[in-house]
Amino acid sequence: MNGGIGSVLVIGGGISGIRSALDLAERGCKVALIEREPSLGGILRQLDNQFPSDHCGMCKMLPLVERDAGSQYCLRKGFFHENIEIMLSTELAALEGDPGKFIATLRHKPTMVDAERCVGCGECVRVCPVEAPDAYNAGLSKRKAIHLPTPHNTPNRYIVDAAACIRCGACEKTCPTGAIDLRLEARRAFRILVVDDELIVRDSTKEWLVDAGFRADAAESGMEAIERLSAETYNCMLLDVKMPGMDGVEVLKRAKEMHPDMPVVMMTAYATVETAVEAMKIGAFDYLMKPFDPDAMVRMVEQIYTSFERSGESKLNVSAVIVSAGFEPCTPTEEMGAYGYGAMPDVMTGIEFERWIGGAGPNAGRLIRPSDGGEVRKIAWIQCVGSRNLRFDADYCSSVCCMYSIKEAALAKELSGGKVDAAIFYMDMRTFGKGFQGYRDKVEQTDGVRFIRSRVHSVELDGERNAPRMFYTDAEGALHEEVFDMVVLATGQKPPRGASALAEAVGVELNPSGFCKTVDFSLSRTTREGVFVAGSFSGLRDISESVIQAGSASLGASLLVHSKGGGIAEAGKEAPGRRDISREPPSLAIALCRCSGSAGEEARLTAIAQAVEKGGWADHVFRVERLCEPDGWRLLAEQIKAGKNNRVLVGACLPYAYSGKIAELAATAELPANLAAAVDIRGAGGCEDGEDGSGIAAAAIAALAMGGAKLRNADPSPHPPTEIIQKALVVGGGVAGMSAALAIADHGYETALVERTGELGGNLRHIHHTIDGLRPKELMEGLIARVESHPNIKLFMNARVAHSGGRVGAFMTSVEKGDGSGETVEHGATVVATGGQEAKTRSYCYGESDAILTQREFENRLQSGAITPGSLESVVMIQCVDSRETGRNYCSRICCASALKNALLLKEANPNIDVYVLYRDIMAYGALEAHYTRARKAGVLFVQYSLDSKPEVSASDGRPSVVVHDPILGRTLALRPDLLVLSVGVVPDEHGGAARAFGVETDENGFYQEAEYKWRPVDSLNGGVFLCGMGHSPRSIGESIATAEAAAQRALGVIGKKHISSGMGVSEVRQTFCSLCERCVIACPYGARWIDEEEERIVVDELACQGCGACTAACPNSAAVLRGAGDHGMLSMIDAALDAVY
Amino acid sequence: MSMTAESTIRENNAITSAQLLFRDMLLEGGITALLVAQHLPMKNTVMPTLITDPDELRAVDPFAPCYSMNTAKVVSKLTRKSLESPIAVVLRPCEIRAFVELVKLKQGCMDNLLVVGTECLGAYGNRDYPIFAGSEPMAATLRFYEKAQGGTTATVNGLEMAPACKACEHPVPENADLVIGVIGADMNGPASVTAKTEKGKALLEKIGREQSAQSSGREAALAKLMEERIAYRDKMFAETVEATSDLEKLMSYLGNCINCYNCRVACPVCYCRECVFTTDVFDHDPAQYLRWAKKKGVLKMPTDTVFYHITRMAHMSLACVGCGQCSNACPNGIHVMELFRTVADETQREFGYEAGRSISEDPPLSTFKENEFPEVTARTH
Repeated sequence: MNGGIGSVLVIGGGISGIRSALDLAERGCKVALIEREPSLGGILRQLDNQFPSDHCGMCKMLPLVERDAGSQYCLRKGFFHENIEIMLSTELAALEGDPGKFIATLRHKPTMVDAERCVGCGECVRVCPVEAPDAYNAGLSKRKAIHLPTPHNTPNRYIVDAAACIRCGACEKTCPTGAIDLRLEARRAFRILVVDDELIVRDSTKEWLVDAGFRADAAESGMEAIERLSAETYNCMLLDVKMPGMDGVEVLKRAKEMHPDMPVVMMTAYATVETAVEAMKIGAFDYLMKPFDPDAMVRMVEQIYTSFERSGESKLNVSAVIVSAGFEPCTPTEEMGAYGYGAMPDVMTGIEFERWIGGAGPNAGRLIRPSDGGEVRKIAWIQCVGSRNLRFDADYCSSVCCMYSIKEAALAKELSGGKVDAAIFYMDMRTFGKGFQGYRDKVEQTDGVRFIRSRVHSVELDGERNAPRMFYTDAEGALHEEVFDMVVLATGQKPPRGASALAEAVGVELNPSGFCKTVDFSLSRTTREGVFVAGSFSGLRDISESVIQAGSASLGASLLVHSKGGGIAEAGKEAPGRRDISREPPSLAIALCRCSGSAGEEARLTAIAQAVEKGGWADHVFRVERLCEPDGWRLLAEQIKAGKNNRVLVGACLPYAYSGKIAELAATAELPANLAAAVDIRGAGGCEDGEDGSGIAAAAIAALAMGGAKLRNADPSPHPPTEIIQKALVVGGGVAGMSAALAIADHGYETALVERTGELGGNLRHIHHTIDGLRPKELMEGLIARVESHPNIKLFMNARVAHSGGRVGAFMTSVEKGDGSGETVEHGATVVATGGQEAKTRSYCYGESDAILTQREFENRLQSGAITPGSLESVVMIQCVDSRETGRNYCSRICCASALKNALLLKEANPNIDVYVLYRDIMAYGALEAHYTRARKAGVLFVQYSLDSKPEVSASDGRPSVVVHDPILGRTLALRPDLLVLSVGVVPDEHGGAARAFGVETDENGFYQEAEYKWRPVDSLNGGVFLCGMGHSPRSIGESIATAEAAAQRALGVIGKKHISSGMGVSEVRQTFCSLCERCVIACPYGARWIDEEEERIVVDELACQGCGACTAACPNSAAVLRGAGDHGMLSMIDAALDAVY
Repeated sequence: MSMTAESTIRENNAITSAQLLFRDMLLEGGITALLVAQHLPMKNTVMPTLITDPDELRAVDPFAPCYSMNTAKVVSKLTRKSLESPIAVVLRPCEIRAFVELVKLKQGCMDNLLVVGTECLGAYGNRDYPIFAGSEPMAATLRFYEKAQGGTTATVNGLEMAPACKACEHPVPENADLVIGVIGADMNGPASVTAKTEKGKALLEKIGREQSAQSSGREAALAKLMEERIAYRDKMFAETVEATSDLEKLMSYLGNCINCYNCRVACPVCYCRECVFTTDVFDHDPAQYLRWAKKKGVLKMPTDTVFYHITRMAHMSLACVGCGQCSNACPNGIHVMELFRTVADETQREFGYEAGRSISEDPPLSTFKENEFPEVTARTH
């Protein structure tokens, strides 16, 4: 990739990195996506099931329009996109330059297997003698030293685990394509000097290193070492600290003068550890304590060797950088309370449990007891392991563990047919996200999972039952013990490995917890301009929030690209020249790829070619050399271009890997992209014929015959793209609406902003400061000033959306203005941000006394001075008023933070006030946990209550009286506070039904229904309509802005181009056959079909159609057809396959 | 004016009382037109007719044990768009049930439509009916009921009624506004009329009729009828399953199919404008036949027969009401009804759906249930 203006570097190929990359690529921006691991997907590689569907669904993130630009298969298996260059096993070494013109230095880690040549046949695995724990299955199963990093990747290439590999060379010899290079020569050229006065240490260390494939020499004294160093070149030195004559430190000093870059490892006895540590200060790489484990020593040298070997550096010019480095799951240690982890096999972490029961896991999807393979009857989950732990320096909530534990408990129930007893031991059940509470209730009430508020003291081995025995205290403080078959530790998130090095390389600051620091109200802006952060690297998010934040980050990057004149929006790509073949009869060329050139292969290819010719399936059959290499493709493209055939079928291996190249091939031959295809003629059995090659040949012939039949029937006629109105309309002038409007307008597109009231700002007007001390008022004034003066924003104040019609790319909306007049706005995309408001209540005697007020009223009076903390003695706050129970069964997410903020404010102003917070679960997710800790330290009293023992309030004499049961004290508290503050939560604002006008559906609580909670969190089910702000779900200011930016980014994906085409696979209607039964309309999950009552015909919205084929299945007589997959073509494919096989 | 068409028919029997009812509906009930079966002149058969003239009811016989076609198809043609003025249609239970399916498939509309259902004791196949009816078809109708009240197995003139009717467990109309009762009734007296909906009630009021009492023997007669039919049906299911238990047997079962597609033309719920089997999809290249023949050495012609029936089963077994028109239409005597009913019984049971039962019950393939058929949609586990 050339990089340059208009290109963005994305660091980290997890879910947020992929989302950011796709966002930018869809907009026409070139993206370099680097990932230090050998495969994409991050933590999601290992998660088979996700909340709330308990299925996957990652593929829903794939582009909805211009689909042919990228892959259209399971995203968890990998992906490609013509605008994204994916570089695996690659890290960022340095980032220089300024926003808009950064120079990134990338370091590529050798994997010893050439990804271009590896065909994934697996012959190497058969001969590899070494087994090592499989990281994919969290170490719960074994794999060979040469292995697939992720079993389900497509295409899938092997890599060598250098630490486990014994360099026997067996794989190198057996690889049929010569893809493996263990670099034994390079390794032998890596010279190590071992310096020790003790013969036995010297010799055995040298021997171990030679066994590991390195070249080692030994010196018995400091003097000898210096002599050798001056005479020859060494790459590394292992140096004893204590030697007679010249000691290790002295040698180190001299060596550093001679060869400053040579890594030196100190070897030390226990007594001289301090000296070794000192040595590190003057340049030693590390130290080993004698007697050392040979493996540990070799591993350390291996590490030095690997960094030495990383000569593969490259430079890249980019406009912006997105860091989505993810997180590291925490490993339980004794300090944080390991609960028997490591000592008992039946105690495992959450991620291990996911793999333990995973379909590709060690038990092929069965739930068995790790210690003996027996039946699992009882499982316990222990929450907050490694999170909310001050001793462990983790004063944060990991935000995801409550939900993943609930999900795992539900999965365990499902796997066991409901028989397993599943119990979750928790402090606060943090169901703060959209739909979380309902999910918990379902799992608790329907599936029967037990939720036990408790503190787990310890887990010990019950000798008699050979099972973990758990000791815990319940909410009342009573001690219990219980034996389980399995104990799962809900381990949280830690900053990723190497976070500080990465932060240094990128030039961003980290926060005290070690995650990436973000600035102001943004969740994606870092301390370095031009560098954005997405996902868990900025701390503790689930998939949905990561995806939202990835949208926010890509918007930031895209704005920078735009402002620096990258012009990504208009660039687009030149439509390739096309031969007019509409009148030519189909003529098919089949190219067979020659791989090893062995006699067996020749014979097989000849047999295949003859069969293809005999069957009359091709007009021209020829062979090409090694398509896996660039030359192969070039020659093929030349041959095709020179020939007269108008359809090309490539028979090779790994057809998925060629999908991108196939499109290029078609372009070279000036053919429509759907007239070229690739099929697998190698089969899963490898390149060489097995004992009976005939099976592979027959399968190959069938594949070619079918591929040929499909191409013959492919429709060559071009389909014009759809014209887009490059304007947007935003409804709602709160923080989300203004942010979205500005984001779109800043990209140069006209944006209409419709606000129902006479002033902009929405809820920002009511918030005086945030819990982090930020000033929303400044934010609001800044936003309003920019919106009001923006040349691309047209403001409609006191206005409402009366009606809207049209489809994605072309909406017509009538706006009714304040003076009663109307105006029609044309726009290609819509962002709905109608917001939320404080709920109304009649509970807890609200309205009966001036001393009972809502949290917002309290904050307003506190700020205006109407309430002075100095005059107060006692304040009670009640959380979850009317919330998380029937009627309004969701958490409003912001009330706990508001209560903590105001409680702290009171305590800071007047430490003598008694502040009671009556709560059900404190939702101090993520970094809010630190404020919860702070509040408790400040003396705020937290009293937990449950739904069946709600506080009782009376206000008979004008002063509230609160009676509540304190479970910890075990008695009832009778409080007479000066003020009773009610956290009433958030309800969506109807905004005059604006959302409905755009066909946005709402969930059972009245919030917008997004297309998919995790994967398409800001899309509505209606194409071209995007959702953000509090109307989507209750959120903080920063979180609302993130949804707005993500929604704006999605909207730009629609209006950023003059024309958009859908994909080749789009459904059509053969009107003469159509009976207008409308079954296709009902079947279409994308709302892409409807009946035009006047014309009496079914119409398809090409941009909304995703080519899923549901309509063609619903239609009995093929009046609904999928372009490129008509009955004729499909039946000829079946015929061809049967002809070839029988 | 005489209300009878034939001298042998006594005044005020079931047929004439029905004619009187229809006349009142046209004259006073605000009904513009009436779709009802009548005996055709010069030809010994019964066909649906659309009548607007109250004086043209002489040959009307809604009870004739003849089912030349499933009238739902005709009603669909009349109601593909909303009717502008009220029309009444007189249908057998299987015709109403087929029409209900067509409405759900947007091939018909209930607006301004008054459905008059007749209770049904069965009918003869198209080849048997003329023999049965002889020269005095109306008298034959009344004679049929005398015998048929005795049960399914009753034979009249040595002729047996159609197998579909013998296996039919829906002698009582569902989803009708008015029901004309014959079960357990004396056909030589006036037929009973019952309103089942507000629409039906309003009409009876309009023409100044009371709801007539049902015959005392009705319940017992119905119970006996149902018992016999269900026994016949279950035996038929078992025999058909056995006769088609593997592909060989199925091919033999359908062996003499000639691709005339009469069954799909006769089928009331096969609603495609043009069947996919008559489109270019099955216009095979002539050379293809030879290729197939060469592969196997012998190729039974015409091809695509089993494929056709299986496809039709996939397309319409969930809407199959078991009327038996397919068997009625088959020139080669293939037991199409038996096969389709057997398959439909299973597919409809799988979805908890019954074709024709209710207008508000969505067809199974037009509804999405996330957790349906876990054994098919297998989770990762």
